[in-house]
Amino acid sequence: MTIHLSIVLFLPLAAGLVGAFLPRGMARWAVLAGTIAVLAYAIAMLADFESGGGLQYVTDDEWIAELGIRYQLGIDGLNLFMVVLTAVSWAPCTLVAAFREHDRPKLFFFNLALGETAVLGAFMAQDLALFIVFFDLMLVPFYFMIGGWGTGERVRATTKFVIYTLAGSLLMLAAAIALGVLSTPDGGEISFSLAQLEQRSVSEGTQHWIVLLFALAFFVKAPLFPLHGWVPETYRASPIVTIALLSAVLSKVGVYGFLRIVLPVMPEGSQHWQELFIVMAVFSILYGSVLAFSQDNVRLVVAYSSIAQLGFIVLGIFALDDKGAQGAVFQMLNHGVVVVGLFLVIGVIAARAGGRESLSELGGMAFRAPVLAAMFLILTFATLAMPGSANFVGEILILFGAFEDKFVYGLVASVGVVLAAVYMIRVFQRTMHNRVEPAVQSREIDRLSLAAVAPLVAVVVALGLYPHFVVERTETATTAAIEQARNASHPEVSVIK
Amino acid sequence: VSATGYGWLVLAFPVAGMLIVSLGWRVLPGRLPGWIASAAILGSFLASLGMLNEVDAEAHVDSAWTYAATGDFVADMSILVDPLSVFMCLVVSGVSFLIHVYSVAYMGGDRGYARYFAYLNYFVFSMLLLVLAANLLLLIVGWAFVGAASYLLISYWYRRTTATYAGIKAFVMNVIGDVGLVIAAFLLFNETGALDYAGVFGGAEEAFSQNDGTLVAACLLILVGAFAKSAQLPLHTWLPDAMEGPTPVSALIHAATMVTAGVYLIARTFPLFELAPTAADVSAIIGTATLVFAATVALVVTDLKRVIAYSTISQIGYMVLGVSIAAYGAGLFHLMTHAFFKALLFMGAGSVIGAMAGAQNLDRMGGFRRAMPFTFITFTIGALALAGFPIMSGFFSKDEILAYAIERGSGFVVLAVVGYIAAFLTAFYAFRMVFRVFFGDPVPEARELEGGHVAHGEPMNPMTGEPEDTDVGFPGPEHHVAERSWPMKFAMGILAVLAVIGGVVGVPALTDTLEHFLEPTFEESRYHDVHPSDGAEWAGLAAGGLVSFAAIALAYVMFVRRAGVTLRLRDRFGAVHDFLSHKWYFDELYDALFVHPFTRAGSFGRRVIETDFVQGFIVGGATGIVRVGTSFARAIQTGYLRAYALLLLLGVAALALYFLLASS
Repeated sequence: MTIHLSIVLFLPLAAGLVGAFLPRGMARWAVLAGTIAVLAYAIAMLADFESGGGLQYVTDDEWIAELGIRYQLGIDGLNLFMVVLTAVSWAPCTLVAAFREHDRPKLFFFNLALGETAVLGAFMAQDLALFIVFFDLMLVPFYFMIGGWGTGERVRATTKFVIYTLAGSLLMLAAAIALGVLSTPDGGEISFSLAQLEQRSVSEGTQHWIVLLFALAFFVKAPLFPLHGWVPETYRASPIVTIALLSAVLSKVGVYGFLRIVLPVMPEGSQHWQELFIVMAVFSILYGSVLAFSQDNVRLVVAYSSIAQLGFIVLGIFALDDKGAQGAVFQMLNHGVVVVGLFLVIGVIAARAGGRESLSELGGMAFRAPVLAAMFLILTFATLAMPGSANFVGEILILFGAFEDKFVYGLVASVGVVLAAVYMIRVFQRTMHNRVEPAVQSREIDRLSLAAVAPLVAVVVALGLYPHFVVERTETATTAAIEQARNASHPEVSVIK
Repeated sequence: VSATGYGWLVLAFPVAGMLIVSLGWRVLPGRLPGWIASAAILGSFLASLGMLNEVDAEAHVDSAWTYAATGDFVADMSILVDPLSVFMCLVVSGVSFLIHVYSVAYMGGDRGYARYFAYLNYFVFSMLLLVLAANLLLLIVGWAFVGAASYLLISYWYRRTTATYAGIKAFVMNVIGDVGLVIAAFLLFNETGALDYAGVFGGAEEAFSQNDGTLVAACLLILVGAFAKSAQLPLHTWLPDAMEGPTPVSALIHAATMVTAGVYLIARTFPLFELAPTAADVSAIIGTATLVFAATVALVVTDLKRVIAYSTISQIGYMVLGVSIAAYGAGLFHLMTHAFFKALLFMGAGSVIGAMAGAQNLDRMGGFRRAMPFTFITFTIGALALAGFPIMSGFFSKDEILAYAIERGSGFVVLAVVGYIAAFLTAFYAFRMVFRVFFGDPVPEARELEGGHVAHGEPMNPMTGEPEDTDVGFPGPEHHVAERSWPMKFAMGILAVLAVIGGVVGVPALTDTLEHFLEPTFEESRYHDVHPSDGAEWAGLAAGGLVSFAAIALAYVMFVRRAGVTLRLRDRFGAVHDFLSHKWYFDELYDALFVHPFTRAGSFGRRVIETDFVQGFIVGGATGIVRVGTSFARAIQTGYLRAYALLLLLGVAALALYFLLASS
């Protein structure tokens, strides 16, 4: 079976364009069909993928020859599950959105589709310039979705969102150009192909500041403390579907960038900032957890919990240890799947409470909605990384990786595991348990939301039962991604090799 | 079927039961979910008997699939069948089955009937997974699952705020224990390169010297896990609050099975503790401190279920002492007998609470002897066993632990003496319950029951006295007493028999069956030959019998003969009473040390860091830059975002141009 990544990549966009020419009410179905086709394609790819087989399904064409930019796509263990995550997240979100009324539906669904193409592109790109094109392209549809269909202070929210991410993107763009230019050997051709860049090298001093610029862009996206200033307002103002995708998928593009670009291309530079990034990660874990506990708005609990979770992922990456990186890659998938489910459930909860999302006004939802409560319970347990969930396997690998070299940081991070239990179980209790608050209608989850959430819950359970399915497919690529940076931090090891 | 084949069956039954009950909750009629769940656990018990039949001195490991493996980190979905795990499976599934049957009737009128049994089956599965797991990772999974099941069942009547907060408290304490185990697992993995028991224990012998610092740390972290689950000092505060759950849950999870997991864990990892005697000594000391601490609190608490809860904490202290001084057989023996008599006591308490229409306060009870003869007899049997009255099961098991402590000599003798003092307190508070509930003048509820019907009161929260609507929790429109419900009688009857004769497997010099059965597991123990002489054991038994007799007699005088003397004592020693009835102020201490700082940090973060630093400084800085840009942009008559984007593009283009020129 041959898999053409270009088809996967542009399917959603094509569906969006088709939708634009269909009658008003039909655009949504075209886009939904597109996301489902992508999902089918992703599943086929998962079945076909060869563990440990290196970069697969490669597409490699010239694009802008003068600047050395190529249209280069490929799948390996690093991005296989990121593509799957994108497909798995987009399909239920589009489904839920399709049954909801929107102003200017054509435009909304076009943006949704464009967003999927951009994210897929960022994950599949094997050329730095191509990555940046898609990375920045992601911003556009999300900007329009938040600004156009958001609620409350959406203008303020979009402004902040745009300023933060654009600033990050700009710095990264500058860094990427510098990297391409400075790594070009005398008389050689400039190239942005990642495989090429890995072969070439720039001086260590240059690496330092280039890594820092990349990191700023990625940490804003993640987000990590203290670059999360855009988070509270954006989370509060976005449409629920948009924020689900933003939190589940877009946040992963940044941390993915570390593994795909920063660590392999600039190992010494990455090693140089290891300590700083770990400190930021650990602080984000604690800070995000404490803040998540003190929030009243359900969305903001998830928002700050994402800061903590992304902190774990960054910790796993910069532990520069095989287990830690494996855990990080796994956790990127787990957190994504769980967060989409969480936000869809929050959407249901808010609908039952007349749009209220504040914990103090919620409660007792489980009373006549046992199925809703059961779904939410499983997602809650997975989010707090209860042993038995795949999130736990991801987290324990991260912690083991951190303990190995950075024992104290690992210890501090484990406090975050306890705090996660505190803030997540609190959300569950305050929404599902206690007395039914006057504003709340305890009604069972509707069929549509069930159709969207139940498959996600099934994925969560399946991953918990058989985490090795993911771990064995990601192992080779992940180990390779951090190998050089790890050896840079252990010079004696590289001598032996 | 091989031993491990039975082992997988042991796990499969409760999973099947849970799935059937939870997926069929809408269609299964009446009490059918309860019977299905009970049948599932009976299946587990029978499969455990199959294991018993197949098990030999070998440890059988069987792996179903690779759970997670990367590099040297390898964990399979694998189970270990050896005498210890078979013993635990028998106790867990056996007692669980009886409590399921009891619940079929007891929970009869509850609107969450199917949910209750789904949770209960899930709990049993988790507990069996915990004892059958063959590696640390799977152990942690079972460990956390029982914590989750405990949370769900404590919060079972989730419309009671007291219940949901108690659930959270239990859950968080248990997660602290989980984290302790995770770190311990890392320390062991790091030195031994293994996660499975055989690899860890074998590797530890080579990797660690006696009392190696890392190993001691790992063992202490294992103890964090064990003590959180087994409610030992200082992680015990969740267990009394866990009494918010339905009474059969208290019997099953918070007395007979889950809370003894810590004892199992210490016994399971005995090669590590023997290599780190310092950690074992810490454990023995904490166990002893806990057993006397909890016994003193049980003297003054007035909530019937909480008296039994503190008694559980205290009794687990004995078990922890036992397994920490290498008296593995004795500690596990007490685990078993305690499971019988403590489950029985809770069932009796449930029956009384049923008769009281949900009220749990001892001060309101009295004179139920004639109204509830069956409950009275079985409860008294449970209390006698708890008190270590001669020939009852608890008599043999508790004294064996103390005999081992004396045999170890030196400081351990002190622990044994404390153990005997606490045994006096135990017998005293056990009969404080019996005399106050069943003796004296019958309260109105008792009279009503004598007159032929069960009392109905206004539904209210037994802790706070708040009125509730009938759907909130127990008692629903119907509630049950053992005298009128054969499933309850059946379960209590069997447990009463076991509470009496359970000691037969461990009569010194005569039977010692249990110890011989468990021997293959503990064969490698370096204390294998340390064993108190038969004479010493019988002398200990005589002493224990006397202590128990004296304490019961004192309780009789104080609560029956000269009732009222306790009130005078309370007034006379008000300070002591306050100290004890506030449970030594542990909750207050933790609030001040952890809860308040945590919430304060949260509001500090929200009000100060978020607004002043992140929003003010960083966002402010960014918008400041933008503002400069906009004033410039305004000058060229464009909206600021557009101008900003334009500026960005120009900047990028300039940079690109610069680098291109620089490179050529």
